[in-house]
Amino acid sequence: MNPHLSFFLFLLLSGVCSSLSAESRDEILRKGKELYNGAGSCVACHMADGKGQKGNIPPLAGSDWLKEGSDRSIAISLRGLAGPIQVNGKKYYAAMPPQLLFDDEKLAYILSYVNNAWGNQEDLVSKEEVAKARRELSQDVFTPQTLLKKFPFDKKYSKKNGTFTPTFDDTLTEITRPVIYRTFMPGASPAAFAVALPGNHYFCWDAGECRLRYVWTKGGFIKSNQAHWSSNGKPVAEFNGTPYYRARTTLLEDESFDELSKTNMQKPIYDTSQADDFPIRLKGLKETPSFLGYQLVEGYPKFRYSLGEHTITELIGMNDKKTGIVRTFTISPPTEAVLQLTPSAFASINCDQGKSKPDGKLLLSAKDSSHFSVLITPVEETN
Amino acid sequence: MKSFFTFIFIFWTTSMPGATAPQYSVTNIPAPPTKYKNFQIDGLTFLPNGKLVVCLPSGEIFFRDLKTESWELFAEGLHNPLGVIALSNSELIVTQRPELTRVRDTDGDGKADDFAVITDHFGMSGNYHEFNFTPVRDKQGNYFFALGTGSRGDGVRTITRGTFNERGRPGRMHSSAPYRGCIMKLTTEGKTIPWSYGHRTPNGLGFDLNGNLFVTDNQGDWVGSSKLFHVQKDHFYGHAASLAWKEGFEGTPVDTPVEKLAKMRSRACVVFPHGTMANSPTKVLAITPRAKMGPFTGQLLVGEMNRPRIMRVMLEKVGGELQGACVPFFDGSPLGRGCNRMDWAPDGSLFVGQTKHTWAGGEGIQQISWNGKTPFEIQNMELQEKGFKFTFTKPVNREIGAKKETWPFSRYFYEYREAYGSPRSDETKVEISAIHISKDAKTIEVELAELKAWHIHEVTVQNLTSSSGDKLSNNYIVYTLNRLLKNTPPEPLQIKVASKDSKGKKS
Repeated sequence: MNPHLSFFLFLLLSGVCSSLSAESRDEILRKGKELYNGAGSCVACHMADGKGQKGNIPPLAGSDWLKEGSDRSIAISLRGLAGPIQVNGKKYYAAMPPQLLFDDEKLAYILSYVNNAWGNQEDLVSKEEVAKARRELSQDVFTPQTLLKKFPFDKKYSKKNGTFTPTFDDTLTEITRPVIYRTFMPGASPAAFAVALPGNHYFCWDAGECRLRYVWTKGGFIKSNQAHWSSNGKPVAEFNGTPYYRARTTLLEDESFDELSKTNMQKPIYDTSQADDFPIRLKGLKETPSFLGYQLVEGYPKFRYSLGEHTITELIGMNDKKTGIVRTFTISPPTEAVLQLTPSAFASINCDQGKSKPDGKLLLSAKDSSHFSVLITPVEETN
Repeated sequence: MKSFFTFIFIFWTTSMPGATAPQYSVTNIPAPPTKYKNFQIDGLTFLPNGKLVVCLPSGEIFFRDLKTESWELFAEGLHNPLGVIALSNSELIVTQRPELTRVRDTDGDGKADDFAVITDHFGMSGNYHEFNFTPVRDKQGNYFFALGTGSRGDGVRTITRGTFNERGRPGRMHSSAPYRGCIMKLTTEGKTIPWSYGHRTPNGLGFDLNGNLFVTDNQGDWVGSSKLFHVQKDHFYGHAASLAWKEGFEGTPVDTPVEKLAKMRSRACVVFPHGTMANSPTKVLAITPRAKMGPFTGQLLVGEMNRPRIMRVMLEKVGGELQGACVPFFDGSPLGRGCNRMDWAPDGSLFVGQTKHTWAGGEGIQQISWNGKTPFEIQNMELQEKGFKFTFTKPVNREIGAKKETWPFSRYFYEYREAYGSPRSDETKVEISAIHISKDAKTIEVELAELKAWHIHEVTVQNLTSSSGDKLSNNYIVYTLNRLLKNTPPEPLQIKVASKDSKGKKS
């Protein structure tokens, strides 16, 4: 018998046997999709498009980890997986928690959906398969090593899939004191700051334009400094998370950090002499700011810059609960001022002075301008 | 620091270039406790209180108490600091990529807490090769710093700082952000101005004892072999890209006829022959009266990246301009490669910081001490009407010194051209016509059959010993003969016009 044909028949038969015969394939996938996209479910990390999050959450779309049967993915879903893994040649750091909320049937629906969504073409998963694994697997959370010992990759896949030993990496560090690095950051001029604050909130501040660029908390701090420091200085810092706050810049249409990390441009998207949307407007002034430096106040950076005759300071720290960043400004001499903030679905913005407008403008009287604070906290997704 | 280039050692004579004289010893200094493993030294100086200061690529600055032999972290987070001046025990001036920055400890706890911009009035394209090299300060309080050009090894970032200039973008090493390839001056009034043009990788400024400012440059496009320039206001030193920022210069620098550029350029006072003397020279440091290094006060030390070598440079004014000779001084193991920054310790010894940044080089800190006894070295080489006068630190063996075979001179020049580096052109052996040895046997005048202006003259002195039999420690010496004492012919262009094919792709 033709070996290809016998393999095909085997696939066909096993597919028929393991499907939930009472329901149609479409029905299974529909239920799976609904569960996958439910509140706080798979979608929160692996995203609706199954692509995961760069460096952090591995993709499910096209993942080699789903191939060679479903035993491995059932095991990961039931017991979790803690440790860095490589998926289709790329590195991911985040841990997968055991999925305790789903019974055998629901998990089977979800895995069936994952196996067949976004172009994936794997088997449907039966609740019997899940139940068997739940009975037989050890209770321990898997490490990449224990998982791959039990469910090794075929040679075909093992080159690009497996685990790795992380080098010293800021992304894994619990931040106990502010850390300030001047380095190349994506989406900022070459004169950028990367700052980590206790409570593990991080931000990029751009000295080239005297402005906060973005703030993030998930996924850890920048991770390419070692490469930057040991090399010729070329690498642009990378980080895993997605900013919860990103200051609007009219000059940057493309918001992809991959695009904004490019170093090989023939010419820039723009140069800082064209940056005419400085977020602080002082009454009657149309000047561009000059960066004056920064002071460390108990380790926290207090940036200072001038705008005309005025000196502005911006101290960036954490709120007491360590749930968000506080930007404390002073303008001296005080004057009527407008601070343009960027409203976002992912952050709540609270100001202790002035009048906040829906478009993100904070209107400040001269008196307000002498000392005011803006609290920016990430909003947990509640849908 | 330069783009990678395969270098070929050319041994012109049978005898090997020298080695460090036995009167000098090299000691390794333990690494500072950097958390990033990487122990390259990009800035090095001393505080008034005698503590050693070093800057690392990680952005850390450490102090070392040489008495207690302990390190302390002073500052962190700087962006590739490549030079440092200590104004006081608590105040440093640092060149980091984006700025000249005043780093201060204002509350006396021994750690920096204030980082003030002294100037950031220059551009950054974000290209990795745009280094910000070595601040130096003159007696009046003006600062000078040196801006590296961008490399064809990469392009520019998505957002650049300062007005982008497309005229400076083409070429192997580019200058699309303000003043890349210039030496900058920050005046005491706070004005930042481009002071000189035409630099490629000016990794190392320094003053001589008379207040003349010097800078090195690395072989590459427009730089036939590495050089030392006497930096003067508004002069153009040959690398085309930065002309994009010169007032009154029109057009795209690299498309300018090379004849025109050659007529504009100022010559180097010393050329370091590639492959034999230096491939990547670094910091310029004057030998001060305070230095305990032997009878060389007033001369200059120049570091070299690619081999374990620190050179000694001796200059003289001829025809109104400085020119002179260079000779290896500290050469070979146990000195490390990558000698990038150096300064005099309070005891007069020399501290050297080594780096590499992915190029040839090394990492570490070494101390070079002199035992007070006179080494046998060429103390000086000066131009005469018909040849050169060599002064030695000790009386020479007259018999050997008087032999013509002791002095196998040759001469050549490097072409001025856009292509990377230059071969030696018109290389010719030069006959010796007469040799005169002084009564005290400490000077030898070597007359040449022909002295040719605008040519490099070099010799590897053969088998010369002192009268008491010491071997000459460093016998390879190169004099950059621009001007003669009398009747200097007009400066030739010495250009090579690139053909369309050999010009290469302009990125």
